[in-house]
Amino acid sequence: MKVSFTLNSETRWLECQPNQTLLHALREQLGVKSPKCGCERGDCGTCTILLDGKSIKSCLVLACEVEGCEITTLEGLMQSGLTPLQKAFLDQNAFQCGFCAPGMVIAATELLEHNSSPNRGEIEEALAGNLCRCTGYAPIIDAVLDLVDNGGK
Amino acid sequence: MSNYKYIGKSAVRVDGKAKITGAAQFVDDLDFGPDLLYAAVVESPHAYAIIQKINTKKAKELPGVVKVVTGKEFPYRFGLYMHDRYIFAQDRVRFVGEQVAAVIANDPATALKAARLVEVKYKKLKPLLNVGDALQQQGVDRVHPDLANYFHVPWFYPKKDSNIAHFRKIRRGDVGEGFGDADLVYEDNYVVPRYAHCAIENHAAVGKLDHDGRLTLWTASQSPHTQRHLFAEALAPLGFTHQNVRVITPFVGGGFGGKAGVTMEIVAAALATTVPGRPVKLLWSREQEFYNTYQRQGVEASIKVGVKNDGTITTLEQTLLWDAGAYVEYGANVVNAAGLSATGPYRIPNVKIDSVCVYTNLPPGGPYRGFGYSEFIFGLESHFNQIAKQLGMDQVEFRRKNAIRAGDQLAYGAPMHANGLLEAIDRVKQEIAWDTPKEIPSDSSKVRGRGFSLFWKAPAMPPNASSTAFLKFNEDASINIMVSGMEIGQGYLTVMAQIAAEVLGVPPEKIRVESPDTDRNPYEWQTVASHITWSCGNAVKRAAEDARDQIVDLIENVLEMPRDDIYLENCQVRSKIEPDFALDFTEFIINGLMLPDGSWRGGPIVGRGMFMPEFTSALSDPETGQGGKPNVHYTVGASAIEIEIDRDTGKITIPKVVLAIDCGQALNPDLVKGQITGGMLQGLATVLYEDMRFDDQGRLLNPNFTDYKIPTSLDTPDQIVPIIVEVPQGDGPFGARGMGEHTMIPAAPLIANALYDALGVRVKSMPITAEKIVAELIN
Amino acid sequence: MTITHQFDYIKAKSVAHACKLLSKKGDHRLLSGGTDLIGHIKENLATPDSLIDLKGIDALKHLSVTPSTIKIGALCTFSDLLNSKEMAKYFPAVQEMAQTVASVAVRNRATVVGNICSAVPSLDSAPLLLTYDAVVCVVSSKGVRKVPINQWFISSRQSAIRKGELVCAIEIKMPAQKHGATFVKLGRYRGEDLAQASVAVVALPRDRYRIAFGAVAPTPFRADQLEKLLNGKQLTDNLVGQAVTLIPSLVSPITDIRATKEYRTHMCQVMFERAVETAVARLR
Repeated sequence: MKVSFTLNSETRWLECQPNQTLLHALREQLGVKSPKCGCERGDCGTCTILLDGKSIKSCLVLACEVEGCEITTLEGLMQSGLTPLQKAFLDQNAFQCGFCAPGMVIAATELLEHNSSPNRGEIEEALAGNLCRCTGYAPIIDAVLDLVDNGGK
Repeated sequence: MSNYKYIGKSAVRVDGKAKITGAAQFVDDLDFGPDLLYAAVVESPHAYAIIQKINTKKAKELPGVVKVVTGKEFPYRFGLYMHDRYIFAQDRVRFVGEQVAAVIANDPATALKAARLVEVKYKKLKPLLNVGDALQQQGVDRVHPDLANYFHVPWFYPKKDSNIAHFRKIRRGDVGEGFGDADLVYEDNYVVPRYAHCAIENHAAVGKLDHDGRLTLWTASQSPHTQRHLFAEALAPLGFTHQNVRVITPFVGGGFGGKAGVTMEIVAAALATTVPGRPVKLLWSREQEFYNTYQRQGVEASIKVGVKNDGTITTLEQTLLWDAGAYVEYGANVVNAAGLSATGPYRIPNVKIDSVCVYTNLPPGGPYRGFGYSEFIFGLESHFNQIAKQLGMDQVEFRRKNAIRAGDQLAYGAPMHANGLLEAIDRVKQEIAWDTPKEIPSDSSKVRGRGFSLFWKAPAMPPNASSTAFLKFNEDASINIMVSGMEIGQGYLTVMAQIAAEVLGVPPEKIRVESPDTDRNPYEWQTVASHITWSCGNAVKRAAEDARDQIVDLIENVLEMPRDDIYLENCQVRSKIEPDFALDFTEFIINGLMLPDGSWRGGPIVGRGMFMPEFTSALSDPETGQGGKPNVHYTVGASAIEIEIDRDTGKITIPKVVLAIDCGQALNPDLVKGQITGGMLQGLATVLYEDMRFDDQGRLLNPNFTDYKIPTSLDTPDQIVPIIVEVPQGDGPFGARGMGEHTMIPAAPLIANALYDALGVRVKSMPITAEKIVAELIN
Repeated sequence: MTITHQFDYIKAKSVAHACKLLSKKGDHRLLSGGTDLIGHIKENLATPDSLIDLKGIDALKHLSVTPSTIKIGALCTFSDLLNSKEMAKYFPAVQEMAQTVASVAVRNRATVVGNICSAVPSLDSAPLLLTYDAVVCVVSSKGVRKVPINQWFISSRQSAIRKGELVCAIEIKMPAQKHGATFVKLGRYRGEDLAQASVAVVALPRDRYRIAFGAVAPTPFRADQLEKLLNGKQLTDNLVGQAVTLIPSLVSPITDIRATKEYRTHMCQVMFERAVETAVARLR
């Protein structure tokens, strides 16, 4: 079936079987590789993207479900270079292997959309669906806090 | 301190931008075009069974299936330290999930469906699911009847006609006399289960055999050259040699030991040979990641220690029985490494250690961050805590008194080198405020406790494990460094750039460190053992020095400046005596310098560096372990924790953890701190939440994150305080030694000891879950 | 994990359309958030002939509030509960519960109705819905039927829904009086986990209580005997102690990989005691 939607501000469409997940459609049919396959059952968060502005796990969504929707992946956040959040991640070494980083940035982006000055607990809560095995999370949480302390710049 | 410009500074990670923008490519992100094939494996449902018949007819008939492959086509054994593993199971399967056959198809769904259509007839055998059963002399099967015929490295001692794949003995001093001298002899047993690495990227491999006979593998690996070697070795009967096997390794989404050596990648290599001209992709699912890669081995430890009333340890007798699983080609060396070092960082004159590698019908054990040390340190540091208590001695004082010092004899006879263990102990003790009373929580159901632990670890590697580096300048004075270590998150690329930067006066931002392609980048053993900063760092330093010498030669010869006056800074040649002299690298680094007669000298600057330790030896007396020098050095440290326990729920929260580590010289302090923060949480998770659970048929019950609970951002200590101690490593690059694995090693005894401090309850098996604590309290 | 099972996907235009599709021969599943269902299809635990996507049906969207009831539409997600001012005002404990469900990106997708339709013993929304005497509104081509939530959970993974029916909403009566409520869930750590036990307590004026447990019996249930014991009496340590002593006879947890029955039972006691204290404190 044919599905059309907005992907990172561009109108895109694809032809897919009903059993195609959005994650696989993005990666294999549209070449958008920042969402990763980590567990494919909604546990790890590496496939997190924004669907109509809300973070979702794209491994648990079918491609055919997003007809007419607006999808933003990490690639779409960088319309004018690195975002302040990405810069904060860089400054704090808020990643090691980098595999969780795209999902982590998406999750933090959504948090900051709704809450421009989250506290540590709120940040921990917002990122709890994104597993990171390398960093121990502290630098990631610090990156978000740093950004908040700097007024989002 | 030093006057380094780039060393010891927290340079920005050179891989940062790639990772934070999603530009970093992992194996599954690479494009292979519409010709790409997909593979799925047929797995054993049984822990132990004879394969009687495999019928592939139905699978072959499914439209879209290109090939069905079974063990018949690949009857080859392979392995890193012992050749006991098969590409596909042959006559028998030895663990649940073992690959028996594989299907190659045009799309992943067809491959999966066809794999389900392969019919395998098994005759079930009684599986050996614990070391106790496997060590029975009578009435149990030998998991590997051909063990005696397997190739293995000379420092392994398999026991014929048994399930013992390797028996490491250490005998030092006189244990009987030592116990005789002791005022207190204390004995106990400790149990550590199996654990999973849980790198967030699953194993992945793509293989392609070109029509001209070149086999290329793209793998998520810590070990590209070792993989090439093992592929070439295993596939030699098909005519492959190192020349026509190539391994390319892009970014890796976490390793922790799990992507060292060879596991599923050899299946991709074998499958690719059956479909020449077409790439074939094999991705492990998260479930397979849990049950068919290496697992951290379980261990049962029996410890008996003699001490004098003044706290001096006279004797240690320790038996470590390792559940090493169905294949031990890598895991047996974990057993070996632990055996050599199971005294912990303590001076103990009389030592008897038996570290026994036992075959079972559970998934293969193998390398996991810590390489056996986390496992024995849990028991040992729990045990020492109890001894200090019995002696009425402060446990930190007890540890300090017995802490190993430079010149002390190690258990295998060689002397200990200079180290900062005492400084680490003292600084941790101060940071955790050991001598001040603990806070009393306002909530009466809660109680606080403190724990302390020392740790150490040496790289476990063949005595001649080596690293090499090529370094080339470009026209703009930027540098490409070709090495074959792996960036697995630790920051290796950045540190290699910093090392070259320091030698050559080129800022790290102008240096690219290239990920391995075994046909382009020079040899590296593996990115394991926390040895890469030290070993590959030495190779890069030597390559940079080689390039620097070429630059200096050129300036000396052409400009007739005394070489001792020359130094390199900010991509320029400078003179110590002529402050105005500055020659940009760009003026000569590729094209050389022109002489007055119009001819040229110099040319492109290309450096090479190699490092192989020449002082190590794995040869020793098999009965005592004495006589060799198997370990290059130890990295030591101390750690302490404060926990708060809810007596009613058993839940633990962690206000503070402190870890001090002697990394010789922190090449990049931020990265060192990153290892401490991440490693500590990984260690805490092994003791608080995680463990692998098997049923009575050897099936893994929790092969997913739903039930194998790795920590989330909500499950972190309030504060982790990293402390860097720097007693230089004489043969390390700028004095550095490795520290990546070590940071998780003390976590388990920290919790156990803090729990004891808080509630007087000694839990002797991991994990120490809330549930287990409540059960202990109720009993 | 690639989905190997093949099925049709139909976007329902209306509730009537969905009911019609549901009544056809075959295994037809309703799709809203999909966070459970897609996972089950991946593992071949569900092999439907078709998925009927409800997300285009405006009538099922969002929370609607009237002076007498708050209505959780079939497409209302846990995040919608958390974002609702009315929930914050009238049912803060429901938000406390929603906050324990999985993680943000799942809560953005997973629906409350989907949660009760799963009917798994550990489902998070059940205990509070039981204490609030929620009503499940079910429609089919035959019309509408309302099922009290305490008759909804039949057995593990089986609800009172019948072939051809869909749940269009869950209704909760607006509280007639001030109340204090809380939801407590036992997980193996603070991060995302399936409940190993859960308890909801609603404290009403004049010493009246409503109590429900989750994950410690084949279905979530109202603890009538506990309520009977406590109702009308002044809450003393002694009375709470009696209640705590009664709990092991009321719950029938299993031992599985997540927890033993002993720990679940113990934690029901601890959590109940603490929940009562919290609910009563919130009533004040």
